[in-house]
Parts: sequence; structure tokens; C-alpha cells
Amino acid sequence: MRRFLESDFLYDFLRAPVAIISFCVVSILVLSAIFAQFIAPTNPFDPASLELMNGFTPPMEPNMYTGEVFLLGTDDQGRDLFSAILYGLRISLFVGLMAVSLAMTMGVILGLIAGYVGGWLDNLIMRLADIQMTFPSILIAMLIFGVARGLLPPELRYEMAITVLIISIGLSEWVPFARTVRGSTMVEKEKEYIAAAQLIGLKKWQIMIRHILPNVLGPVLVIATITFALAIIAEATLSFLGVGAPRTEPSLGTLIRVGQDFLFSGEWWILLFPALTLLALALAVNLLGDWLRDTLNPRLK
Amino acid sequence: MLVIIFRRLGQSILVLFLVALISFLIFRYVGNPVDNLMGQEATLAQRAALEEALGLNDPFYKQYFSFVWNALNFDFGNSYRGALPVSDLIASRLPATIELALTSAIFALFFGVITGIYTAIRRGGYLANIILSTSLIGVSLPTFLIGVLLIWLFAVELKWLPSFGRGDVIQLGWWSTGFLTLSGIKSLILPSITLGLYQLTLIMRLTRSEMLEVMRQDYVRFAKALGLSPKQVNYKHALPNTLVPVVTIAGLQLGSIVAFAIVTETVFQWPGVGLLFINAVYFVDIPVMSAYLLLVGVLFVIINLFVDLLYLAIDPRLRDSNSSE
Amino acid sequence: MEENLLEVRNISVTFKSRYGVLKALDNLSLNVKKGEILGLVGESGAGKSMTGAAILGLIDPPGRLSSGEIYFKGKSISNAPEAVRGHEISMIFQDPLMSLNPLRKIGDQLVETILTHMNISKSEAIKRAKNGLKEVGIDPSRLNSYPHTFSGGMRQRVVIALALAPEPSLIIADEPTTALDVSVQAQILDLLKKLCKDRGTSIILVTHDMGVIAETTDRVGVLYAGRLAEIGDTRDVLTDPKHPYTRGLVDSTPRIDSNSFKKSLFQIPGSMPKLDAMPSGCAFHPRCEFATEICRKKIPQILLDRSACWLLNDGEL
Repeated sequence: MRRFLESDFLYDFLRAPVAIISFCVVSILVLSAIFAQFIAPTNPFDPASLELMNGFTPPMEPNMYTGEVFLLGTDDQGRDLFSAILYGLRISLFVGLMAVSLAMTMGVILGLIAGYVGGWLDNLIMRLADIQMTFPSILIAMLIFGVARGLLPPELRYEMAITVLIISIGLSEWVPFARTVRGSTMVEKEKEYIAAAQLIGLKKWQIMIRHILPNVLGPVLVIATITFALAIIAEATLSFLGVGAPRTEPSLGTLIRVGQDFLFSGEWWILLFPALTLLALALAVNLLGDWLRDTLNPRLK
Repeated sequence: MLVIIFRRLGQSILVLFLVALISFLIFRYVGNPVDNLMGQEATLAQRAALEEALGLNDPFYKQYFSFVWNALNFDFGNSYRGALPVSDLIASRLPATIELALTSAIFALFFGVITGIYTAIRRGGYLANIILSTSLIGVSLPTFLIGVLLIWLFAVELKWLPSFGRGDVIQLGWWSTGFLTLSGIKSLILPSITLGLYQLTLIMRLTRSEMLEVMRQDYVRFAKALGLSPKQVNYKHALPNTLVPVVTIAGLQLGSIVAFAIVTETVFQWPGVGLLFINAVYFVDIPVMSAYLLLVGVLFVIINLFVDLLYLAIDPRLRDSNSSE
Repeated sequence: MEENLLEVRNISVTFKSRYGVLKALDNLSLNVKKGEILGLVGESGAGKSMTGAAILGLIDPPGRLSSGEIYFKGKSISNAPEAVRGHEISMIFQDPLMSLNPLRKIGDQLVETILTHMNISKSEAIKRAKNGLKEVGIDPSRLNSYPHTFSGGMRQRVVIALALAPEPSLIIADEPTTALDVSVQAQILDLLKKLCKDRGTSIILVTHDMGVIAETTDRVGVLYAGRLAEIGDTRDVLTDPKHPYTRGLVDSTPRIDSNSFKKSLFQIPGSMPKLDAMPSGCAFHPRCEFATEICRKKIPQILLDRSACWLLNDGEL
């Protein structure tokens, strides 16, 4: 702990207003999402609690039928927008986190194998990576999503939407992890402690997990942060396009999609508040990730 | 050098076949073509007949090759929604996407390179820092969010520009263009900015960082030490070396524009192939999906190949496979 | 007394860092006469390259020339170094591969440099360029070749041709042979010496190699931690060093004579201090076997035109 407090890292952090502000924003949003149940005045996903007459209420004005006041207004079905945003944040962050974990796990494992075992396996994995990298990850996510939907019977498509979303985003982002880990593995592989482990007779996978893995994790965390930002944006985009989180479990992207329809009829708040929330989240996570990457980059020192 | 070219071509062709394979697999095995075309009430005999007619019982490689052959003849089967030939659907909507993509690309490249050079040469300057800070926003925001906010500001609040559609288009043979009408051009503005903004910030930051890196190089210092003027140093020595990687990556970004066109087209209801594709995903219209993927895949491979060859032309070091070290 | 071509007076190069203001060069003074070869020797980080950069105004930010003056041919150039670059003072860098623009033919780079400094026609410039190549021993027909097609030694010759093209009176050669094979080093050094003697061009030769100093230079300055430790005629400094650091440097250079085969190689204990952890007083005192009270307290200046060491006050070392 003390090492951290005295580290260059903390020093640089405290002197970068951008980093501090971004970190605070991200923290507020994350905490709000985690404690959504306690902060939100209503549960927007419970159909029973919805009162259709509450619909289209502007922010902070009493509804003309029921007289209820909503902090950020309501949408077309009477959902309190403030609650919807909190729960939507939760979904956005959840999907982002899960997708990054998936990408990281897959990428690290493949990277370890490619770097340590080498040979044709390495070639295969790297070729795959190269081919996947020629296409933007959003496209790949859409492709996987489309195929997965096609493979599922129509009844399950709705239920599995979030899972499919996570899988498609996760699978589209594994390559940077794999490439970095592969590089570090190939370097570590030559070091003496690995030769020693081999002499003792440890099996390949044991060496990979117990010895190499801890030493190559550093850069992985930086990539994870950046990928997290990308995952959040990817999820928002897919949901906005209608091929992500459904209306019954809306993420911020879904809410924005709904909001756009009502822009011209004057109910601007249905669009604006979710949009601003997403803006804050995306900006903060990106800035933080950027700053992290610049600070931890030894080349720029 | 010819060896290098042929090798690249070979790689590209290999990847093309792979893309075609994936596209074919989706086309054939995802969902059931017979179900989709016939519905539930068809009898077994009718199904069997259709299966024969569609060639679904032929050996794998035969189906694959007929798929590829058909593709080369621009026959992609019929859409599940409305039974229109997929190729017609795509052809009618292609001009919209291409005009949008082109406008965005030019917008992004032009302003991106200029601001990039400016912020590199005037490093630390007031305007440069402002530009950099705003650019961070461009990179962090999802495309659709930019589009939606632009619509809110310029279409709803200010009412200056249209918020959806292409405006009036003029038909020139097979191509429909929006360039020749005022409403067409007006409709093009917001979508192009939306689509191009991300690319612009990317290109700007890339140009800047490459230029800064190049300006630190010894040959630039050497040129300065030899007394060459700052203009000569910046524009004749630093800039060409900067543009090489910039052009490469910008070229590769062209592919991203095509992908993000899907999003932009959805936001602005722009009648292009992107909107076509996303609707296909939503309604699980397999033939359209696989055709789009095949076309996009081919496009990407061609772009990659072209950029590689361009690189060879610009950088003399890459021309000999054995240059003295 | 002959007028100095170049006079560096009390220059300091500083930059701000997390640890405060650091001095890469501290109160440095030296002179170069017309036609002489002055060596600047020291370990990595001692400030030799920084001195060369300071003279031409090529210090990379955040460093800056914070005090002192530089005079060339009697006129101050510290505020406007751009005026002398090329046709008065020229510079050669260490890595010939990185010094040449990889995307341009060497002929183009030569002609461009010539035309910047001389008001002649393009065909005249091309003729001069070809002559320049001939002088450094390269076939003039290679004007249209790219840098990567040359070997290391040949590239450095091209660099020398470029540096000489505007006909400067002084060349600053920053470790010109460090990146080259040993066999090529001698050739390049000889070439440099010959060309400069022929034209009366002075050279400041920056290096960490004592052997090169002994072979090539007329006078030599020894740098330590950003300060000048000793300066004088090469022969004097090498045979009878008047600074403990110089003595250490000389002693630790391997020699091929019968005496040294018996002894193990001498090494000065400790290492040169980092700029953010400079000792008080004389920078060398923690490693010096002769250090006294005053060495710990006061920073020594160059005494008797020779060495910055308090012990010199007493005359003997």
C-alpha cells in the first residue's frame, strides 16, 4: 500500500485534472448503477408498477392526470426516466464488464498458448487474429449476433439477447489481449526460471498458468481498461440499432433509440437525459483509459 | 519486388475464399431455407422437391462452388422478406452508401491531416490545445450518439438541416445521386459529419503523433543543423515521412467507414446498404446478411491489398527484399 | 594571441523536472581555435552531446540554455543560432542510418543543402555534389541512390559530405564512429582529419573513446556530470593528467604494452552521479581518493587554465 502511495503513478494521477475528474465521474456512475435499487424511486422493469397515464410527463412538472412529479420525466409508457437510466446504466456496465472478461480470458489463454507452445498452433492463432483484425470489431460483433440469432429458435431470441450480446462483443475484442500476451510470453519463455520449471518436470499448462501468466499481466490491465470503454460503446451502439438489449431490459443505448422517436413530437427529455448520461460515461472511461495508457507507456518516459 | 506483389495477391485470394466460405456457411446452415421459403404447412414431398431444386442435397464442395459462381454472377438468391432478388436490393441502395462514405472520407482526410499538421508544428500553442481537447470528445463518443445529438441541435432546435432521408435524388442510369440537388446536399451534411467525425479525430491524432515522432528523428535534426529553413525541414523532410503511415492507416479506416455507415444510416434513416443489413439482422433475413457480408469482406480485402501496394510504391526501402543493413 | 574561432562562456543548460531544476551543463567554458581539433570526452550523460547541441541551438525541450554566451568569429550567436547553421558551423550525428532521410535520394539531399547556402544554379550544385562525393571516397554516380543501399561506413561518408557541402568553418562531430565497425572507424576518422586539415576547418570531436582522443585531437576537454573537469593539449592531459577523474579515465583504458598484462584492469569505484542527486561541492569528490574538506564544500572552477580541482591550488597532484 505504501509503495502505491509513494509511486510515480499516484504522483502523476494527482497532477492530472483530467484523470481525477474522469475517475470521479466513472466512480459516481458505477456506484449509482450498483446501488440502483436503493437510489431509484421506482423499478422501471416491473410492469405492474407502470401507470400508463404517467406517460410523457416533462421533467419536474406534475403530471396532468396523476399529479406525480418525476425528476427527469417519463417515457411513453410511464416509466420514470431517472430510474430507467439507473437501471440502464447497470445493464450497460454489466454487459461491458462481462464482455471484457470474456475477451480477456479468451485472449490471454490463446496468447499464452501461441507464445509458449509455438509451432503451427501459433501460426493458426495469429492468422486468425490477422484476419479478424482486418474487419472492424463492430462488424464482427454484428455478424456473430446475427448468426447467433439465426441459430436460436424464435422463442429464445428475446431471452438470450443479453447473453448473445455479451458473447458477440467479447468475441470481437480478444485479439489485442492475445497479441500482447503472446509477445510477453515469448520473451518470458527464454528466461531461466522457466527453464528451471521445465527441469523440475512441470507440465506445460502448469508453467503457463503459474509462472508465465503473473509476469505478463501488466499490459493486459491497460488493454482491459481500453477494451472496457470500447465494449460499452459497442453495446450502446448495438442496442441503439435494435439488435442489443431489448426494451424490457433496456440499456442506455436502447433508451436513446426509444428517445429518438419522440424528438420531433417535443418530448426531448426522453432522448436527452439518457444521451447525456452515456456521453458522460463514454467520455470519462475513454479519458481515463487514454491517460492510463499514456502514463504506463515506458516508451514515452 | 514482383515476388512481393505476387505473394500479397496470393494471400488476398486465400482470404477471399475464406470470406466466401463463411458467407456460404451462414447462407446454407443458419436457419432453414426451406422453412423460410415454404412455411409450416408444406408437405414432406413439397419440401423434398424444393430441397432438390435448391441443390441442398448436393455434396458440400459442389454447393460451395455454385455459391461462389453465383456470387461472381451477382446472383445472391432472394430475400426472405418479399422474395426480391438480393442483388437488386443491394444495387438500388449501394449508391446512397457510397456517396455518403465518400463524402465522409474526404471530409475526414482533408480536415484530419490539416489539423494534425497544425497541432504538431504549433505544439503547445493555444489553438492547438483547444483542438486537441475537442478531438478527445470525437474519439470517445459512439457514432450514433454524435448523430443523435447533431439531429437534436441542427434539425430540431435550430431547424437548419433535415433530420432523415436523402432528400431529392436524380437518377443517372443505374445510379441515383444526391449530389445534384440542394435538398440532396443538405441531407448529406449531418450524416457525413457524423460518419466522418470519428475518422477525422483518428487521422488528426495519427498525423500529429507521426509528425512529432518524425520531427524528433535524427535526419530532421540533421537537416536543421545543416541550416535548412523551418519550412524546408517541415514540409520537405518531415511531412512526406509522416504521410506514409498516415495514408496507410487512413486507407484501412475506409473499411471502418463502411461498417459505421450501418450506424449512421440507421440514425438518419439513410436508404443505403447498411440500413438494409441491420434490418436483415433484425428480421433474420439470411440471404441478405450473407450477401452483405460477402461484399463487405471482398471490399476489405481489396482495400487492404491496395494499401499494401501503395506502401510499396511510396517507401523505397520496402522494394528490395534484401537491402543492406 | 590568435583570436578564437568559437568562444563558449559560462553556459548552463537546465531543464525542469519533478525533482526541481536540473543542470545538464553547469557553467561551462571552452574555446576552439581556427584549424584545431578539440576533443570532448566523458561518460554517457556527462554532457558532451549537450555541449554540441547548445552551440547550434538544437537543445530538445524542455531543456534550455539558461545562462552564458556563445561567440563565433567574435559575434554572439547564443540568441540566433539559426544564422550560423550549415555554412559556419555544421554537425554530424552518431547514427548515419538515422541521419539521412530514408525516402530521398542522397543526391537530392546534397543538392538541397548546397542550394540553401549558395546562390548558384542547379547544375552547378549537382557538379559540386558529385565532387563532394568524390572527396569522401564515394562513386559520384551514386547520387541517385537511396540511403539504405549503402553500408554503415559509406553512409557516414555521405553524412560527412553533407556536412562539408556548405563549407563551414567548424564541424561538431558527435560520436561519429561509435556506431561503426572498428575497422571502419579508423578510415572515417582519417577522412575527417584530412578533409579538415585541407580546408582549415576546426572540429569539435565528441567521444567516449580515449583511444580516438589520443589519435585524433590536438586539445581535449574532459566532462563530468555536466561540468568541465580538465582541458588542455591532448598530449599533456593524457600523459600527465591534472584531475583525479582524468587520471582514472587514462588508467582504466586498456593498453597493449608489457606492463599492463600483469595488472588487472583499473576501474574508478562508484559511478557518475545522476543530475537529480548531485553531491555538494566538487561532483567527483565521493569517488576521489584525494578529497578534502574544501572539495566537499565548494564547486571548483578551472584553475591555471587546466583543471577544476582544488588540489591544483597547491600545485601538485
